[in-house]
Amino acid sequence: MFNKVLIANRGEIAVRIIRACRELGMRTVAVYSEADRQGLHVRYADEAYLLGPAPSRESYLRGDKIIDIARKCGAKAIHPGYGFLAERADFAQDCLDAGLAFIGPKPSSIAAMGDKAVARATVAKAGVPVVPGTEGEGGLSDEELLSVAPEIGFPLLVKATAGGGGKGMREVHNLEEMHSLLHSARREAEASFGDGNVYLEKLVEGARHIEFQILADSHGNVIHLGERECSLQRRHQKLLEESPSPFISDDDEIRQQMGSVAVRAAQAVGYVNTGTIEFLVDKDKNYYFLEMNTRLQVEHPVTEMVTGVDIVKEQIRIARGRQLRYTQENINLNGWAIECRINAEDAYNNFLPSTGQISHSLLPTGPGVRVDTGVYPGFEISPYYDSLISKLIVWGETRAEAILRMRRALEEYKIVGVRTNIPFHQNLMDSHRFMGGQFDTRFVEERFSMEAAEEGKTPRPEIAAIIATLVAHQQTQRAAHIIQRGERDTSNWKWISRWERMQR
Amino acid sequence: MKYVTAIGEREYIIEIVDERHILLDGALFEVDFNTVSGQPVYSLLLDGQSYESFVYSGEEGWQVLLHGMLYLASVEDEREKRLRAAAGGNIIERGEVHLRAPMPGLVIAVLVNEGQSVDKGEVLVILESMKMQNELKSPRPGTIARMRVRSGDSVEQRQTLLSVV
Repeated sequence: MFNKVLIANRGEIAVRIIRACRELGMRTVAVYSEADRQGLHVRYADEAYLLGPAPSRESYLRGDKIIDIARKCGAKAIHPGYGFLAERADFAQDCLDAGLAFIGPKPSSIAAMGDKAVARATVAKAGVPVVPGTEGEGGLSDEELLSVAPEIGFPLLVKATAGGGGKGMREVHNLEEMHSLLHSARREAEASFGDGNVYLEKLVEGARHIEFQILADSHGNVIHLGERECSLQRRHQKLLEESPSPFISDDDEIRQQMGSVAVRAAQAVGYVNTGTIEFLVDKDKNYYFLEMNTRLQVEHPVTEMVTGVDIVKEQIRIARGRQLRYTQENINLNGWAIECRINAEDAYNNFLPSTGQISHSLLPTGPGVRVDTGVYPGFEISPYYDSLISKLIVWGETRAEAILRMRRALEEYKIVGVRTNIPFHQNLMDSHRFMGGQFDTRFVEERFSMEAAEEGKTPRPEIAAIIATLVAHQQTQRAAHIIQRGERDTSNWKWISRWERMQR
Repeated sequence: MKYVTAIGEREYIIEIVDERHILLDGALFEVDFNTVSGQPVYSLLLDGQSYESFVYSGEEGWQVLLHGMLYLASVEDEREKRLRAAAGGNIIERGEVHLRAPMPGLVIAVLVNEGQSVDKGEVLVILESMKMQNELKSPRPGTIARMRVRSGDSVEQRQTLLSVV
């Protein structure tokens, strides 16, 4: 049984895991790259060890070094977080071989779900509906994919076999553009996961992305914690998640139906620990298995807020061999939770990533607000890792209250030093389609623009004009002041004697 | 001091009367204007109404982020405005524009050749950073001149990639 955990990750999720360990009375070990010496996870952990240079390939992806550090410092368990090594079956196996507990599923489950083609074949056999695609065919060559594409039909998606988070994913509308898109998808997949294999999947149009959180212990108990609505995405990167889904809302029948299908999918691979079953849902509430994420999700907090379950602590308890403390009947969704991903991306400049030092940060607080973050004033947002600065999560009794609370929290949140997508979320919160729950996975890209969102609002250009003028005026005055620095209201000799008296 | 501040088509005449008072198009307001701990976050009390805003100085003037909306403001004092009027014309469309890297990264592709004419918004370079491929677009119509990078190059922040003339 372990009581010291090494966290093989960085940023907000490393901090989140350290918090769970602390609350369980466990010792924590952080690992960090040369770019992350100032990271909050390094400061919060009981111990911290350097992994290597900034690029993740030389640091957070160095499984061998991480296991070596665990051995040396006596950590008996490794929590991989999300991304990096979280869904690498070989790393999970290496941990077990080294006598370490891997806080996650069995290597065989990761492998079965990690190759999405195998995953789809496996769950399809268990009676779970899947989206048409190159299922069960492994890593096909470009020529093979090009020849099978017309059978699946356009539009379709090229997806990274080892992927997740939209990396190595491309949308293809015809055969002509497919070759070059395959090439760039493979390249991005290779850079992100060290595996350039891709597969094809039919694009379900007007689809919603709804996922179910699974908890499974090593005694064969599997439950679901309800759904998360993740349809608000840009370039297949989730931007906002909520639980419950406004599309399912009070339709508990479909919730339990999809939930039990999700449980069945997890059982099909003998799943243990936490995982997420992603579904595509069309407008008639037909649902298709998309993939299983065999790890903790970025958006797990919205489920925590409505169920009251601390998912990370549950992960650790499960890894220690405990039985689940909940049965399906214990799980009720209470109220509504929304999460906004705050990214270092300029909402007014095509969401271009923004790097630099966070010089000032004022977090929103007050009732029903939670912020998960790994940055603080003085921290440098580097180009080496993803652009997630923090996750802003609110809870409300109803969806309407949650939206109003999120608006309030976004207005309070001040981050200085890098540009963020906070204005995007503010406009989203004011969008009528968002408020009405009328959106699908293409809403952000196709039907939402910052300009249009601002049209409906009451602009205050005169206030902006006054503020700009006062700032410009202050700068002019200050510049004038610097030029005239020699001139003081009194003689320089008097200043010197005053200064000397102060020094005594 | 009198300023002429333009937001979009609209111009505002704003006069700084003293530390506590301004005239906006002739109407007197009491102001209390503060920067929040020396940062580009400003707090304005205008006749008791409280506003908080981000202000950045950009190449095209001031960017004011207020209540989740972005305003582009150009501020000129009267003297500057008269000088510009005397010089005549708009200077923004003339001269060359340098496309600079907004962040450090790797050039994935250069989609244009030297001498090629481009439209505003046309993608010129794809830069990979933060594990994402970012499209850098032409800020205005023109002709590509002086290519300084090739695909595969690593670039620093603010490094000039090419020029549009």
